[in-house]
Amino acid sequence: MRERKRLYKAGLINGLAVFVVTALLTGLISGCAAPAVRGSFIEGDVSGGEAETLNWILAADASSFGYVGFTLESLANYDNKFEIVLRCLARDIEVSPDGLVYTITIRDDLKWSDGSQVTAEDYVYTLKNLMFSDWLNYNYKDDWQEEVGGGKVFVTPAVVDGTTFTITRQTVQPEFIYTLYGVIPYPKYIAVKYEGDVTAFTQAKEFNDLSYTGNMGPYKFKQWLKNDKYVLSRNLDYFLGKIDGAPFFEEYIVKMFGTSAVMQAALEAGDITYSGIEPQNVAKFKKMPGINVYTVPTRGYNIIAYNQRDNGWEGLRNKEVRQALSMAIDKETISKKIFLGFAEPAYSFIPSSSPWYSDNTVMKLGVAPLNDKQKAIEMLKAAGYEYTKSDGHDVLLGKDGKPVKLLMVTTPGSDVVESMSLLVKQELAAIGIDVEVKWVQWPTLLRQYMMNKEPGANQEPRYNNGPRAVSEDAWDMTLMGHNTDALAPSGSRVFFASDGGLNSFGFFNDRVDRLFQKIRSKEGLDKGDRSLMYGELARVISEEQPVDFVTYTRANRGFQKNVRGIEPGINMGYNYYLWRFE
Amino acid sequence: MRSYIIKRLIYSVIIAWGIMTITFILLRLGPTSPVDRYILNIAARGQDVESVRQAIEARYGLDKPLIEQYFTYMGNLLQGNWGWSFSTSQSVADLIASHWIYSFQLILLATIFAIILGVGLGMLAAVKQNTRIDYAASIFSFIGISIPGFWLGLMLIMVFGVYLGWFKTYYDTAYPVWSLENIRQLILPVLALSIGALAGYLRYTRSSMLDNLHKDFVTTARAKGLTEKAVIGKHVLRNAVLPLVTIIMFDLGSVVFGGAYLTEIVFGIPGLGQVSFNAIFANDYAVVVAVTLIGTFLVLFINLATDVIYTYLDPRIRYD
Repeated sequence: MRERKRLYKAGLINGLAVFVVTALLTGLISGCAAPAVRGSFIEGDVSGGEAETLNWILAADASSFGYVGFTLESLANYDNKFEIVLRCLARDIEVSPDGLVYTITIRDDLKWSDGSQVTAEDYVYTLKNLMFSDWLNYNYKDDWQEEVGGGKVFVTPAVVDGTTFTITRQTVQPEFIYTLYGVIPYPKYIAVKYEGDVTAFTQAKEFNDLSYTGNMGPYKFKQWLKNDKYVLSRNLDYFLGKIDGAPFFEEYIVKMFGTSAVMQAALEAGDITYSGIEPQNVAKFKKMPGINVYTVPTRGYNIIAYNQRDNGWEGLRNKEVRQALSMAIDKETISKKIFLGFAEPAYSFIPSSSPWYSDNTVMKLGVAPLNDKQKAIEMLKAAGYEYTKSDGHDVLLGKDGKPVKLLMVTTPGSDVVESMSLLVKQELAAIGIDVEVKWVQWPTLLRQYMMNKEPGANQEPRYNNGPRAVSEDAWDMTLMGHNTDALAPSGSRVFFASDGGLNSFGFFNDRVDRLFQKIRSKEGLDKGDRSLMYGELARVISEEQPVDFVTYTRANRGFQKNVRGIEPGINMGYNYYLWRFE
Repeated sequence: MRSYIIKRLIYSVIIAWGIMTITFILLRLGPTSPVDRYILNIAARGQDVESVRQAIEARYGLDKPLIEQYFTYMGNLLQGNWGWSFSTSQSVADLIASHWIYSFQLILLATIFAIILGVGLGMLAAVKQNTRIDYAASIFSFIGISIPGFWLGLMLIMVFGVYLGWFKTYYDTAYPVWSLENIRQLILPVLALSIGALAGYLRYTRSSMLDNLHKDFVTTARAKGLTEKAVIGKHVLRNAVLPLVTIIMFDLGSVVFGGAYLTEIVFGIPGLGQVSFNAIFANDYAVVVAVTLIGTFLVLFINLATDVIYTYLDPRIRYD
């Protein structure tokens, strides 16, 4: 009996030990195991941000590329520090020492939906037969063209083997590599069916329902009801999910809202997982126990462009006058009072978050000590302008002896723009300049004020028809918002180069033109040299002040607190496939 | 009557064709271009705006002469092809087919709700003239007429969606259209859309009923010994309802073209209002023309239906 009891006791102890070890092991394993897959991640967006097409080669809007990106990874993307993160690339792109040949090697485990391998041939076919074709009219052909012998020619793609292809250029363009990182392919075996027929290609079912994407993205297309929601389901075969089972949401949904007020109400009520938050609501959301708010830099900036063409105030063609005006406009006040702290003063087209930003070369107009109205008045006087008194106030007189009155044109509908316009009016009034603010609709702004042509010439109006061209209606300043490419800011040549397609304000400067050219030539191959060139370019442009760079905006992103894996930053979505619910 | 309806239908087709042609021409002669909305994105990518504009216009045939575009469109339309929506990447017919039901259910429920409650309360207020019920109905109708529907919508979302949590803050298309869940989630949008019309119908019904309540034929009916229910239901209401039909039908037209759109925006209902709004801003010509055409036909149909209903409500009316 005693023996049985001893045996029983020993058995109990052994059993207990086994249980404890098993439990410990289970705990250990589950602790190391992949996060649980569950739930629907619902991203809120307002209707204006709705994508136009999933047939990405036809897209001109940014949202369409975003929608497609859920199902098709590009060759690489960037983390918050702009470090390259490989996606479909097996290794980073190799550039020949002369900067002309790019060798691209893709992973060998990429599959289309029919199970066939994604090959270098698919990429080369997409480039040569689709993007470079005459019949399809790809919107962004310019990215793939270079100027040779006075004309534009396409770069030359060529297949090396199943997973490797090359792109050969005739001229060096160091920033071309960033274009390459963004490439996504079409499956050749489907696309050939539609080749040459733009209508058939545009309406091709496979391309409009993304049914070909295989294991190329973390999610698969499920449903798209326009102006309502874009639904994606988890891709079990995702090539980056082999190790940890990512992605971790059953569904990813982009839900469209008619107004941001309702979208934020939905976030507050817990009906959606994530949305942007407007500056005035940030404090309220930060107090909510169920919401995390992240403030991150963006690529967006605001400018006041000075019309230097013949139908703007003649003073604006003088850089000292432009500097004086920018000096009078207080950027700190705009950042703190209008953007409620969610903006930082801007001095250049290169944002401070860009690896090419150099803080010590730019002229920091609009921020102390270069925010000085008295000094601005002295600069205007030094430029040959006189002041008179009217009702006890100083009034700036033009060269014709009449008080200077400037017209600032901008678009209505935004509280921020309206407040900024009124603040600029107030700031310039303090240096004796009367500003009339005119709000016009976007198409009117483009056609009446931004497009121009030479008087009397038989020209189609464009945004830059040369130095003698003027817009239909006269204007002096305009307030606009732009985005910049932080990695390849030389794209801003469209605004600041003499032949820039959007240089509607008429800024023509040889030094700036040469610097843009140098950055995009073999002289810019060395990153150190390119950085110096960007520093010099930013210095010249900030001194020339063709526009007053006002602020770089920061965005506020609100997430339900149970979302894990987020890395706040300028590219915070770069690892979204690893996000999960707690 | 039949020849009258046929004649009206023929006129309707001619009017619709005229409106469609004017819309088609005005849209293309207007100062806007489908490329306008991409300018900032194109600029951010450092692209030449002109080459992108040319690419887009060439792809969708917008670079062809206007007359050629018009005849191509008309030819396609006669074959049942409404064109391709370049801002949503689907055929216009598919786009409308997938969205009309959301507008239809909203307008239908809001109209039924407004008629039943508006006419019912209006009758009650008239019958109980100068009582507390009448005063309460008057106050309610004044408030209802004064409140903008979109503001009411936002308030309903904040109170019932955010604070009380009784309803989702947005319309969810995951539920089948005729499911109970769907009807439930339409309560707030229907309230927001119908409140103005409901208040209006209440006022009209009340005053129209009061007009008729004091007429000789009502006194005669009562003298004949008819019950009050029969007097009100058979005699007063039937006469009072005639001007109301015009108002309701007129309202229906304005709801189709305006009111429902704002409610759709506020509650995130993907109806035709949202479709047309986005198409206008995207310069998606094919969609704008199609939606205008549908709206035209609807209004013409509503007018025709009003005329036909008159003949049933008032046998003295004839269209010979």
